[in-house]
Amino acid sequence: MLKIVNLEAGYGPMQVLWKISLNAEEGNVTALLGPNGAGKSTTLMSTLGSIKPWGGEIYFEGKDVTTLPSHKKVEMGMTLVPEGRHVFPNLTVRENILMGAYTKRASKLMKESLDLIYTLFPILKERPGQKAGTLSGGQQQMLTIARSLMTRPKFLMLDEPSQGLAPKLVGEVFETIQKVQSDMGLTVLLVEQNVDITLEVAKYVYILHEGTIKAEGTSDTIKHSEDVRVAYLGI
Amino acid sequence: MEFLRMFSGDLINGIILGAVYGLMTMGLSLIFGVLKVVNVGHGAFIMVGAFIAYWMFTLFGLPPLLSAILALIVGIALGFFFYYVVMKWLLEAPELSTLLATFAIGIFLAEVAKAVWGPDYRGYSWNVGSLNLGVTTIPMAKVYALLSSIVIAVALYLWFKKTRAGNALRGVVEDKEGARVCGINVEGYYALSFAIGIGLTVMSGVFITLFVPVGINPYMGEVYTIKAFVIAVLGGLASPWGAFFGGFIFGLVENGSYAILGLIPGVEPFSLTQCLAFAILLVLLLLKPEGLLGKK
Repeated sequence: MLKIVNLEAGYGPMQVLWKISLNAEEGNVTALLGPNGAGKSTTLMSTLGSIKPWGGEIYFEGKDVTTLPSHKKVEMGMTLVPEGRHVFPNLTVRENILMGAYTKRASKLMKESLDLIYTLFPILKERPGQKAGTLSGGQQQMLTIARSLMTRPKFLMLDEPSQGLAPKLVGEVFETIQKVQSDMGLTVLLVEQNVDITLEVAKYVYILHEGTIKAEGTSDTIKHSEDVRVAYLGI
Repeated sequence: MEFLRMFSGDLINGIILGAVYGLMTMGLSLIFGVLKVVNVGHGAFIMVGAFIAYWMFTLFGLPPLLSAILALIVGIALGFFFYYVVMKWLLEAPELSTLLATFAIGIFLAEVAKAVWGPDYRGYSWNVGSLNLGVTTIPMAKVYALLSSIVIAVALYLWFKKTRAGNALRGVVEDKEGARVCGINVEGYYALSFAIGIGLTVMSGVFITLFVPVGINPYMGEVYTIKAFVIAVLGGLASPWGAFFGGFIFGLVENGSYAILGLIPGVEPFSLTQCLAFAILLVLLLLKPEGLLGKK
């Protein structure tokens, strides 16, 4: 569904990604694991178009979308749950959710999406009028995921959804992600530092280190590969 | 008694002028709120509006209320032009770059105006009767300015709260990365906000001419830039509605203090009034830097 070929990107004079290639198979959870500063967020941001790729190609459903602006990609069915959540803090929970239905395609399906989201996230239904900025970290993470689902994605990127959450909440968030993925038949590209839980939910894993892909394989292969674990994951 | 009569007259005038001041500042706050750019050339766009009002009136007899619509359109066009030619390229640059760029745009506009129309002070008078309020008599022209300012502010408010574009813009103001992942064209809304902000500013220049009988000249903008900064800070900087109410406060202080300062012997109230407004700004910045209506 998503294919990245020789992607290069960076900020100002600093190159972060050095010709990385990866493939997210339709209907699967693919993960990108790696330490801080490896270029995981940069990969997701240049895939959506928040930052411009320096080189390489990005294909979505076979179409070259490398230089397409991000709002067009969202209209096509791609979106991102950004690192650090990025809710609209002074808007209400309901306003935050509805913002996800901004694109023409998503606004047509708004009613249906809203029902779906309220079944998945009953807590959000209970507090429609609360300012998003006053929610707890876990609730904000749920809200960002809910908002991204309102865009009716086929392909969803998640940037460190476990970040800053208590261990119990991490489990909850990942259960939700798995449920959403299977219920909606989503293709997911997950970026994480939390190795254990990622190897559990992902089918295929790429290891990113200092801006290059150092290893790849099914979760099982990676789990049992002594070299990869010691060298890049530190477990 | 005579003082009270004068004072209440000044307050009424203060409210009217305040509404126009509010309108004059909304564009500045909108642009700051969305793009985080302080438009130092703000006053020059007011000057453009003032000249539009002057020429339309003297050449074609067009009343300022109609010139205001023309000014809005010209302002929106100028806004898009300067956004795509200048601002777009500087959004990632350090703040100093946008400050210098808007400063340069302001000087550029003033110099073009001087080259085309000369440095003279000009003025016109739109005489459409007056309204007797007992304590004071107000020219209808100013009443129209008050009503127009309120209508425009309310319209902008409704646009913001009720339309798809307005909602999206609120999202951009709140969190631009969040807006982007919702499929909102963030850069497009930057351009639109800059254009609307400049449009409102040029339009407010038309209404300003109703308060300065012979003050229209290429360099008239400077004083309004500074006043708009004070008002924007009063209103919390990033909020157009805060700016609108800040305008009322500033208008009231400016006009109200005029009468009070006049009571002190040996004081020339006009120049001191200007002083006082900025003294208030300094005190406010020291005590409540987020602005009277601003959030921490």
